[in-house]
Amino acid sequence: MKGHDEYKEILSLAALDAADGAELRDLEAHLDSCAECRAELRELRGAGAALALAAPPVAPSPELRTRLLASLKSTPQESARRLSAEEGASRATRPPGRAPANVVSLEDARRDPRRAFVSRRAFNLTAVAASLLVVSLAVVSAVLWRRNAALNSAVASLSGALERARGELGQTRSELAVARREREILISPEMHTSQLAGTKMAESARARLVYDERTGEAMFTAAKLPPAPAGKAYQLWFIADGKPLPGSAFNTDAEGRAEMRDRIPPEGLRAQVFAVTLEPAGGLPAPSGEIYLKGAS
Amino acid sequence: MTARPERDTSDAELLRAVARGDEAALAALYDRYASILLGLVLRILHSRGEAEDVLQEVFLQVWRRAADFDEGRGRPFTWLVTLARSRAIDRLRALDSRGRAALASQREPTEEVSDASADAFRSEQGEIVRAALSQLSEEQRTTLLLAYHEGLTQTEIAERLKQPLGTVKTRTRAGLMKMRELLAGKFEGADALF
Repeated sequence: MKGHDEYKEILSLAALDAADGAELRDLEAHLDSCAECRAELRELRGAGAALALAAPPVAPSPELRTRLLASLKSTPQESARRLSAEEGASRATRPPGRAPANVVSLEDARRDPRRAFVSRRAFNLTAVAASLLVVSLAVVSAVLWRRNAALNSAVASLSGALERARGELGQTRSELAVARREREILISPEMHTSQLAGTKMAESARARLVYDERTGEAMFTAAKLPPAPAGKAYQLWFIADGKPLPGSAFNTDAEGRAEMRDRIPPEGLRAQVFAVTLEPAGGLPAPSGEIYLKGAS
Repeated sequence: MTARPERDTSDAELLRAVARGDEAALAALYDRYASILLGLVLRILHSRGEAEDVLQEVFLQVWRRAADFDEGRGRPFTWLVTLARSRAIDRLRALDSRGRAALASQREPTEEVSDASADAFRSEQGEIVRAALSQLSEEQRTTLLLAYHEGLTQTEIAERLKQPLGTVKTRTRAGLMKMRELLAGKFEGADALF
């Protein structure tokens, strides 16, 4: 329900019969209980009616007057139904379609000819109920639509968060698996460590291979290797009885450090020598380049 | 009740006489207001034939329902004007758009009334109202006249002027309040508008 002040603007429009349906019905309900607004509407109607005087008067044809006065004889007058006792009382007490002649002007002003045969009161109740229903549905729809939109965006944002969490979880799992393997290597009773030293190709380079002699799981760390040229990579070799078995290829960081996990093949576990060569990126099945690191098992 | 009501008989007295079946009283009301009401209705309908039809309906309605007129609810003039506008607007809306376009195209120049008998006094009032209107802002005046003389609703006015509905409401209220203030005390006694 609107505040008293909000009816003031509608009052002015109603006084000019320019208010729209829903606001007009709102106002009518308010007028039933507000003497101040009723009085103001009466005054504003008067001010509005004065506008009629601004239009240039036009004299009707004389025949019209004759015709009108002649038709009075055949036009029955309706007897007074002044509701003195109910004056100012609720509209609901008024018989349908009857009211002081100059009271219903709000409705008269926007009377739709098609509604002429429908009880105005019944129509009003139906219209009020219908408009309440429409307004309620509109409000509910608006609320649901907004809630739906909010939920959709919440779901989208949660989906994104879930995807990110999944990714992080996967990363954490694989890191954990690596750490677990490293730990297993380090605590294994069959842990073996080999030191590799730089050759003339990289005299200050150093490396260490730690591996589980039972599983072949290995950790390789290197330092002070010169960065591999573009298109090249270092590759680890397990040399058993003079035959090099390929390990993984790796690259260093900008400071010449490298760290990688590898698995020594079963025959590689018998290797007497470990070596690192410079090979085409991705590595080869057999060594082709210079040896950079070398150590005995 | 006098058989021939004089000008100083108030509108309300005339209506009471009409309610008692006094045909002369209705004729007196007609003579007082027919020109003003026809001018107004013609503004809305733009067709002399349609407008005269409406005018006749209005006075027949006054004849039938004068007994129901309640002076406590407003002045007789206000009632007459409201009836006339309502019927004119109903008629306008009942016409389909083609009929309306036809009416608009055959807009007749509205001749100023020349029948001077009762109208000198009324046109003097018209001067007062026109003077008051001229003191409104252009926007306020346009809004009021679109509502009153063209029978447009607030929404239609907003569309016509390409203004937000809120602006139309504000202008309507400001304009009408100003009219009320400017016209207060101008029409005294039997001719009081409000």
